[in-house]
Formats: sequence, C-alpha cells, structure tokens
Amino acid sequence: MDLMIVMKAVGALSVIGLLAAALLATAARKFHVEVDPRVEAIFEALPGSNCGACGNPSCFAAAEAIAAGDKAANTCVAGGQAVADAVAALIGEGACEVKAVISARHCGGGTNAIRAYTYVGVMSCAAANKLAGGPLACAAGCIGFGDCQRACPFGAISMDERGLPVIDVHLCTGCGICVRECPRGQISLLELLPEAAPVVVRCNAHDKVKGRKSNCSMCCIACKKCERECPSDAIHVIDMLAVVDYEKCTGCGTCVEVCPQKCIDLYGRDNAADVKAADGAGPGTTAELAEPAEPVEVGA
Amino acid sequence: MSTLANLGLLFIGAALINNILLTRFIALCSFVGISNDWHTSVGMSLAVIFVMMMASTATWVVWNFMLEPLGVGEFLYIPAFILIIAALVQFVEMYLRKYSPVLYRAMGIYLPLITTNCAVLAAATEVAKPGFFKMAIEYNYTFGEGLVYTLGVAAGYGFALLSFAAIRERLDIAPVPEALKGNAMSFITAGLLSLAYVGLAGWFGL
Repeated sequence: MDLMIVMKAVGALSVIGLLAAALLATAARKFHVEVDPRVEAIFEALPGSNCGACGNPSCFAAAEAIAAGDKAANTCVAGGQAVADAVAALIGEGACEVKAVISARHCGGGTNAIRAYTYVGVMSCAAANKLAGGPLACAAGCIGFGDCQRACPFGAISMDERGLPVIDVHLCTGCGICVRECPRGQISLLELLPEAAPVVVRCNAHDKVKGRKSNCSMCCIACKKCERECPSDAIHVIDMLAVVDYEKCTGCGTCVEVCPQKCIDLYGRDNAADVKAADGAGPGTTAELAEPAEPVEVGA
Repeated sequence: MSTLANLGLLFIGAALINNILLTRFIALCSFVGISNDWHTSVGMSLAVIFVMMMASTATWVVWNFMLEPLGVGEFLYIPAFILIIAALVQFVEMYLRKYSPVLYRAMGIYLPLITTNCAVLAAATEVAKPGFFKMAIEYNYTFGEGLVYTLGVAAGYGFALLSFAAIRERLDIAPVPEALKGNAMSFITAGLLSLAYVGLAGWFGL
C-alpha cells in the first residue's frame, strides 16, 4: 500500500513534468522570435547608465531603436564621439560627427544671494520653487537644494559650501538631465554649452539692475565693460545681461579679468585641463589657465 | 447571503483583511526590493495579478482532477505547484514575447522574478487547498470563488506595494535622521503600515 502511494506520487509528478516540458518545447518552437544580434552588440557599446537623455527609456531600448534603424548612430547623447563611432561601425555606417556639450550654471549667488523668506520644508528645489517662487529674492538664481546633484546619473555635480552646484566638466556628459530637473532650467539657470565653451557668465537675471543688486551681490550689473574690452566682439549685454557668443569667443579671458563683479568664470573642458573642476572657483576668483596640477579648492 | 455578496466579502477579505504582504508577511522580498520606484511597482503589481490568476487556475485544476483523486496531494502539493508555476511563467514569457512586444517590454523583466515569488505559490495553494493559513477549514473553493479569491490577493498585493512605494518616494526627500536613512526608515514605515492592516483583522474571517 505504501508502495502504491509512492508510485502514484511519482506518476503524478512525472505527468505534470512531461506536460510542462511538452508545453514549453512546443512554445519554444512556435513562439520563437528572431533577435537581431546587433542589438546586444550595440547595447555593449552604449554607456549603460540608462540616463534617458536620448529619449529612450533605457540603453537597451536605445540599442533596439538603433538596430531597427529608427534612430541614428549618434543617438547616445551622453556617450559622445567615441560611442557614436563604435555604434556607427556596428551598424555599418560611416563616421558621424557629434556636437558635444557640457552643462553650466549661470549663477554665482549661493549664500551671497538675499533670501526673501526662510524656507522650512522638503529640501528640494522643485518643492521650494512652488512656494511663492522659492526663498531667493532673485527670480532667476539657484535655489541650491541640489535637485540637479541628485538627478545627475554620472555623479558630475556636487554642492559646494556656497550652496551652489559645481559641475565637474570632465565627468559631465552633456546629457541634459540636470537642466530638465532644475525648476529654473527652462529659464537657463542651467544650460548646455558647447564642450569647449571657454567662459561662462555666472548670472541669469534679466530684471532691473538696481533691484537685482539689492537681491544679490554677485550679479551681472550690465556695465558693458566686457563688451567694450572683448577683442573678438564675442560678448554682448543683451536684455541687461552679458551673453557670450561661443562661435566667436576665443577664450582669451579678457572679460574674466575686467568684470568688476567677477561674475564671469573660465570654463570648458580645455581650460579645466589642469584643475579638477574649473567650476569650483569661488566668488571673486577664477580658475587660472596656468594652474598647477593640484586641484583648486572648491569654494575658495 | 447571496452569492454575489459572498464573493464581495471574499474579495475584500483576501485583499485587505488578510493582506498577503502586511498581515501575512508573505513575499516581503519583492515588497522591500521593488518598492523604491513607483513605476517599477506598477509594472510588478500588474504582472503579479496576471501571473497569480493563471497560476491559481492551473493549480485548482491539477489539485481537483489529479492530486486529490489520487490521494497524493497532502505531501505533493508544494513540488507540484512550484513545477506548474515555473512552467507557466516561462510559457507566458515566450507567448508575450511573440504576440505582445509592448506588454513584454512592460512586464518582461518581472516575469522571471515572479517565478520565485512566494505570494504566487501561497495564493495558488490556498485556492486549491484552503487551510494553508488556517488549518481548521473544511471547505473547498469552487472554481469561481477561487478566481475571486486570487484576484483579491493580487489586488491586495498591488495595493500594499503601491502605497508603500508612494511613501518611500516621499521618504527619499524627507528630513530623516542620518542614522535611519535608507532601509532602516523603510522597515519602520513598513511596520507602521502593517500595524494599520493588522487593525482590520477580526472583521470577518475567510
């Protein structure tokens, strides 16, 4: 009788197992899907950080779109030229040029900026910005709770003691996620600049200069000194704010020197070659071209 | 009571009062592992509802027409059900991949996870063999009752997972004491959430 139970159990499980095996074997034949082998190869070539800057939900989805021909070889924003070349080789296309960009912050206020009220609440720029436009008196400045830092998938942004995000130009891939996450990204507080952008204006205000000065001691005062001194006619005061024309800018650094407010900094991958983060230059200082290999103290 | 009211009570009992996550503490691995992102939780919940319904249907049939008549169910149900669920999930994955790439992309990565999800096994077992949780029950679900019960369990799973995910997303930016940041705070929150569900116990049983 005991043996009978054992036989029954073995029989029952064997039948279930055989049925399942038959089902799966049939399904594997019937539902077979041809997978493009290039998808895997392209996926390997992509950075794999799933940043979403290209508009695809993940790197794998981007690889599928590229393999299917829906997207071009230079789809990957974050990867730059190297990834674009690798992908182009995989799908058998010629080389394509990538216009590399890096992110830059147009504000030097931080703790120097006047607060209109004391904010107590969720420490997020997006939340603070919804409460009467944020605690800053300046409507265009950096709120400084680090939404961009938390959003950056490459760890290129850190908050310094001025309460400003410092962008490591060597880690930044120009994916643009910080610009999208920043509640003031729409009004170009954070902006994507050309990779080699030699200078950056640390102010984003377009309101009246008099009111602006009472909001923040670090602002551009629209004195036009940079405009007059620039040898290549690359910087102009437009709508009460100095704006750099990166097509013309040679990176000579004249505007950085003459600015009475010290609100123009040297920037860009080339200028920052010797410093860890040229962006880290604090109020009143600029990262110098001939800086020795030692990293510049952030917020000096 | 009418049949419809009975089914309604069965559903609520399975979903809220005997919530599989927060009252019975089954499938806590996915509860903690996946709830840090709202969108992932939505995908996981939908996939669990889908798989649980299929698995329970299959196990009910196998139990009532094979294991029980043969008299081997008492000791064979766990291996048999695991076998069925694993095969079924594999099959569904292949089917979706072929005929519904959109659904496959939405649920695909969760399907293998669900193979080893104990909530699915628990629900499938309970449907075939009531008394998995309370051994005294002398009752067998009809096929319809089994389906309603499973839907209730799956909905309860989804509800608990989504509410916890929503809380955790807010916890990420909340001023939490340094020592409690991350998982510690999540566990405390899960405990409080569970307390709320345990408070429902005793309204009515299964």
